[in-house]
Amino acid sequence: MEYISPEGLRLDGRRPLEMRQLHAQLGVVDKADGSAIFEMGNTKVIAAVYGPHEVQSKNQQLPDQALVRCEYSMANFSTGDRPRRSKGDRRATEISLVIRQTMEAAILTHLMPRTQIDIFVQVLQADGGTRAACINAATLAIADAGIPMCDLVTSCAAGYLNNMNYMEDSAGGPDVTVGLMTKMDKLTLLQMDSKLPMDIFETVMQLAIEGCKAIVRYIQNILLENTKQLEYQRGLRS
Amino acid sequence: MGMEEYMTPGEIVGKSYNYIAGPGTYLNPSNSTIYACAVGLKRTIPASANAEDKRPTVEVVKEKEHGAVPEPGAIVTARVTKVMARLASMNIICVGTRAVKEKFAGTVRQQDVRATEIDKVDMYASFRPGDIIRAEVVSTFSAAMIPISWTEMQCPLTNQIERRKVARAV
Repeated sequence: MEYISPEGLRLDGRRPLEMRQLHAQLGVVDKADGSAIFEMGNTKVIAAVYGPHEVQSKNQQLPDQALVRCEYSMANFSTGDRPRRSKGDRRATEISLVIRQTMEAAILTHLMPRTQIDIFVQVLQADGGTRAACINAATLAIADAGIPMCDLVTSCAAGYLNNMNYMEDSAGGPDVTVGLMTKMDKLTLLQMDSKLPMDIFETVMQLAIEGCKAIVRYIQNILLENTKQLEYQRGLRS
Repeated sequence: MGMEEYMTPGEIVGKSYNYIAGPGTYLNPSNSTIYACAVGLKRTIPASANAEDKRPTVEVVKEKEHGAVPEPGAIVTARVTKVMARLASMNIICVGTRAVKEKFAGTVRQQDVRATEIDKVDMYASFRPGDIIRAEVVSTFSAAMIPISWTEMQCPLTNQIERRKVARAV
């Protein structure tokens, strides 16, 4: 299996350090307080955010900050084979926890004590990097809901190649997923599959961080375009 | 009116010695920098003439506000759901002039119904289920019961006493 051709092109025609095409849309779920669809190449995820609202179970209420809950799931049709997935499967539980911790670090929870914020992310089409796409979609949905955040969190996965798709991911090589608060330059997520020599790890992590910075530029444009569109609809600008 | 500046969360708005952080922004004390925490237009409001702090307030005006949350001191509109001897339960439907996206639960205690003769208040004569009332939020905690003796605990909100085994009364 040749992951890079002799001409230096990957299986989908990209260069080794090149990212996939990004596409995002805000306000796709009317009922939700905030929502977004985020696409990285063929990976497509949808996020819906509800909150801040009253905590469902009073005993879980936090007196000085908002409770952040997250649920990750994959649609049965998101992968090539369409298995019957159960809600509580281990991978989904782990990724739900990871996304929750990543977003909780960025949301200014102390401004909304005794409330709850629910983040739902669902993978519609999985082609590698679903965890990263979900975090990017969650950031957009939270910003769309008007929930205060200290910074935009973006995420990107890299190995020896940047932003791998499913074929490259299943090769079994290293896969480093990074979640970055770009303006503060702080990591909120760092996960790795497989093994890497220490000296190469730094380079791979930097590659993923570069990917995060490229994504944040795109996300900022989307958010500003959406705000201008809303102002136009309200008649504040022509 | 000058350059229109749109901000996204995490962008630097100004320094704290020049500005006061208003809604939509937050201050990081370690480097005296004010950052945006919302998406919107940056707006500077000059300090009022008789304010002792001459710094203008900088804020980020959001297009979409997140749902209203009742805070102490807020005037809320609520619908009564249950009336009991010492308190009435209700669902808060508006905070100020803004409707809430999803309801919040609230209670009115017997001693908060009126200013005079507070222990003679008859809850059944004051409220009925289904009534729409306007109230001011006193506090937002759902209190844990406080032990008062080795067999009794008291709720600080309603002063109701319930018999429980208590390990050590403080």
